[in-house]
Amino acid sequence: MAAPLELSCWGGGWGLPSVHSESLVVMAYAKFSGAPLKVNVIDKTWRGSRGDVPILTTEDNIVSQPAKILNFLRKQKYNADCELSAKQGADTLAYIALLEEKLLPAVLHTFWVENDNYFTVTKPWFASRIPFPLSLILPGRMSRGALNRILLTRGEPPLYHVNEVEAKIYRDAKECLNLLSNRLGTSQFFFGDTPSTLDAYVFGFLAPLYKVHFPKVHLQEHLKQLSNLCRLCDDILNSYFRHGPVAFSSMNRNQ
Amino acid sequence: MVAFLQMCNLPIRVECRANAEYMSPSGKVPFIHVGNQVVSELGPIVQFVKAKGHSLSDGLDEVQKAEMKAYMELVNNMLLTAELYLQWCDEATVGEITHARYGSPYPWPLNHILAYQKQWEVKRKMKAIGWGNKTLDQVLEDVDQCCQALSQRLGTQHYFFNKQPTELDALVFGHLYTILTTQLTSDELSEKVKNYSNLLAFCRRIEQCYFEDQCKGRLS
Repeated sequence: MAAPLELSCWGGGWGLPSVHSESLVVMAYAKFSGAPLKVNVIDKTWRGSRGDVPILTTEDNIVSQPAKILNFLRKQKYNADCELSAKQGADTLAYIALLEEKLLPAVLHTFWVENDNYFTVTKPWFASRIPFPLSLILPGRMSRGALNRILLTRGEPPLYHVNEVEAKIYRDAKECLNLLSNRLGTSQFFFGDTPSTLDAYVFGFLAPLYKVHFPKVHLQEHLKQLSNLCRLCDDILNSYFRHGPVAFSSMNRNQ
Repeated sequence: MVAFLQMCNLPIRVECRANAEYMSPSGKVPFIHVGNQVVSELGPIVQFVKAKGHSLSDGLDEVQKAEMKAYMELVNNMLLTAELYLQWCDEATVGEITHARYGSPYPWPLNHILAYQKQWEVKRKMKAIGWGNKTLDQVLEDVDQCCQALSQRLGTQHYFFNKQPTELDALVFGHLYTILTTQLTSDELSEKVKNYSNLLAFCRRIEQCYFEDQCKGRLS
């Protein structure tokens, strides 16, 4: 396809190409499937929108949300799942649902709701990449959106306060991490030797949790004990996101 | 829920109550009332039943348990949300069926107020998880994808894992049965499910086995 594919997303830090989970999912998938993506990192200029990031722009389309972007890439024949069986494809959907239900609330909480983390790490980082005066408004809005999502999907009457829900979401997240670790076992990737959509999603959700330095870190501690998941993240980072011009070569693991 | 309890061979009595949502400790239906304990929602009920010595997933290894949990989340994520969407966010269905049904036990104007309140709550939740802007077609497509995944996972087996039913089978049966038998303004949702013949056969089999008392003896 000659049409250039441009991805707008949040930038990187702490060794990651992006600190935003959803942007990371799309970037990883693009690397796995060989899609030539031009990455536009959101910065302090007023160019581009920042509400629904990541956003994929082509000549005639604008696609937002990771699931839709991945579908779009697949339709353009950039498919990282071509070697999967039907059952493995079904498993992928199921595990992604598990990630979104069990792990995402805790990741959102760690980044956006936990006060120590939010005020010392997340807010300054995002605010430094948003032009004034939006930098005063947008991080707060993202934080409230995250809190809302957690409470609406996890909070139950009369527990409409985040403190009561905290214990539950972290327990769910730890269980989810354990399940993922069990499923991965000793394999290279979730389905054999080549990475697929599920690996992209797991990487996208876990890598920021793994790498970003937070003051309050109990979920990170738990993740670090699951060495196969950490190994997966490191492998993907080293193979596909080495700094400098990274020409996409499949499974280039010689370092 | 009823399917799960029957699969465990536990005697149950089903009661439909108008204020079921308020009676439940967590605000969600279904819930069970055992002696002087009340437990709500599928997850905790399964745990409760397990603690009493009945479990359907003991025969699974760790990887299979992980898969089962993942598929249960998929069903919750897609089917449950789609059902909620159809009931509360699709204007045609809301107007004709849902409002009337939800508010029927109450006198006017309480029936309208409660129905609107519930609708507002559901719409808020949809927006928070990103379904707020989905059209009906997109929701149907998601349901189709979910059914396809379930169908592929089930394949030609009788149940999702080996020869014994598990919590996943109960959950899938519950949702699919509801979709297939509930009257809505259009049949598109049940048509999507009917496209997958092995899922239909699965539902029919469970219905016959556990709800018509034909195969009770088979459970160990």
